[in-house]
Amino acid sequence: MNDRPASTSRQRSLKDQVGNRETVKSNLGIHRFAITVACLTVVLLAAGALVTSNEAGDSVPDWPLSFGRWLVSKDHFVANVRYEYSHRFLAGIVGVTTLLLAVWAWFAERRAWVRKLALLAFAGVVAQAIIGGVRVHFPEYKALIAVPHALVAQSFFGAVVAIAVFTSRGWLAQREVRLDAGNPSLRTLSAITVAAVLVQLVLGAGFRHQAFGIAPHIVGAVAVASLIIWTSVVVFRRHKGDAYLTRPARLAAILVVLQLGLGIAAYFARLASAGDPQPLEPMISLTVAHLMVGALTLATMIVLTLRSHKALAALNVTGNRAPASPVRRAII
Amino acid sequence: MLRKVGTICVMLTLALFLIIAGCKKKPEKGAEDTKSKPEYKSKGDEGTITGKIAFDGTPPVGKKIDMSQDAQCASAATDKTVDDIVVTDGKLQNVFVYVKGGGVEKFSYDVPSDPVVLDQQGCRYHPRVMGIQTQQTLKIVNSDPTTHNIHPSPKLNPEFNQSQPQGAPPIEKKFNRKEILIPVKCNQHPWMKANIAVLDHPYFAVSAKDGSYTIKNVPPGTYTIVFWHETLGEQTASITVAAKESKTQDMTYKAGAAAAPASMEIAPTLVLP
Repeated sequence: MNDRPASTSRQRSLKDQVGNRETVKSNLGIHRFAITVACLTVVLLAAGALVTSNEAGDSVPDWPLSFGRWLVSKDHFVANVRYEYSHRFLAGIVGVTTLLLAVWAWFAERRAWVRKLALLAFAGVVAQAIIGGVRVHFPEYKALIAVPHALVAQSFFGAVVAIAVFTSRGWLAQREVRLDAGNPSLRTLSAITVAAVLVQLVLGAGFRHQAFGIAPHIVGAVAVASLIIWTSVVVFRRHKGDAYLTRPARLAAILVVLQLGLGIAAYFARLASAGDPQPLEPMISLTVAHLMVGALTLATMIVLTLRSHKALAALNVTGNRAPASPVRRAII
Repeated sequence: MLRKVGTICVMLTLALFLIIAGCKKKPEKGAEDTKSKPEYKSKGDEGTITGKIAFDGTPPVGKKIDMSQDAQCASAATDKTVDDIVVTDGKLQNVFVYVKGGGVEKFSYDVPSDPVVLDQQGCRYHPRVMGIQTQQTLKIVNSDPTTHNIHPSPKLNPEFNQSQPQGAPPIEKKFNRKEILIPVKCNQHPWMKANIAVLDHPYFAVSAKDGSYTIKNVPPGTYTIVFWHETLGEQTASITVAAKESKTQDMTYKAGAAAAPASMEIAPTLVLP
């Protein structure tokens, strides 16, 4: 009788270990694939930025086909069509890989919320494609449509980055949870910073697509830079020895400084090119680089936010661990 | 919580599409407005307005256009400099001149049966500035060995964006509403720009290479004559045309004039500081 329980408990323990190893293996596979999708999305974001910077958004007048075909002919792939069609082609690749990620996660991921997030990411890329199509068919509303198009793009990118975090070895590993002391807490501060970065991306898209002027984006830049620096300082003051947090914090601080420089350079390049007959260098490259670093900043802050929720917990009035936050309850 | 986030995302996306779908299309009242006006009947006492438009100062050197992204353009184009300010012997080309007031808006006018031709040649629009009457046919021709996109961006007329490959038949369009001026661009070749003014009367002209313009058959009356240049801005003058009079109204643009013409509103969708 004692054996059965022991045997049963040993079997259960073995099964759990095997199950966990299998889960860890499949999660790492999904993790690597999510990173691949994220990298492809970065390339897609760059392609989209090139479309706008080269004023190529309307160069292919039909959608979802391109000049009546899925693959354009060599004769059509000239001038600005190169940018627009490449963007569409890459979007198709990202769509297919995101679908594969969602399917893989559906069958191999034990956590239901991760499976749903992968489905949400796929829904996002489909919505993004539709918004792009609406943009083509309704050019008179391009300013109104381009801003949501930019927002959904960055949000989708954030979702894929989050999936990569949730399936990472670091996330799945057992960690000692430490108290998130201080006011504001790091979890709150980093989450607010992510939201601020997203708003700033929208303001940048609004300026870029002539929905409104540059002033909101400049004000946003000051706010976002302050928040990122503040968050990084908090990480290094309160969690100096924890590389799980300090690495993304350091990267975020570097990126925001780079982003400010690129933003200033891109703006002055745009002013200097006001009389140019067409978009030219260095305005194009500076603007595209500014957009890419913005996306990477968002990704880094998402990583930091999620990791802070994983590694830290709230402090209640008695100094003990408080009940988990809604985010933590949902994802831990 | 993820379900809530997903639901919110879906709702926001649907709301966005409903808002866009619910946005009113630009009303096309131009045709109806014309029909309600009495038709202008010539009394045989119409006059003429002529003049020359001068440029005072040193004209800016036209910037070079990089056509390397399309080899056909690079080989077909004879002129690879920006042609927004064209000055010859001190005379300014491509100024759009038209009259307003004086009762011209009270009547409807015969629409010419001949189309106005916009040609794409050497990867440039010819002419760069043109006038057309409401409901008159605009005939868009591609004389180049490459594909162009004709994309006017009107605010009061329906916008269209159409591809026109080499050898394709002409595209014919009409504008039903008066609009001054409609910017036109080619999305494939971003340096290609033109401007179309749509008026509901025939009293307009574009200055030629020698700066001269002529507006014929102007009914007697006092008008405001408007001179519009896409880069140098807009100027006006008051002019009175007597019966069968040939009136001269010259205009001078100075180097370094304002860059934003008043009649070309580039209004943002949202107005924020």
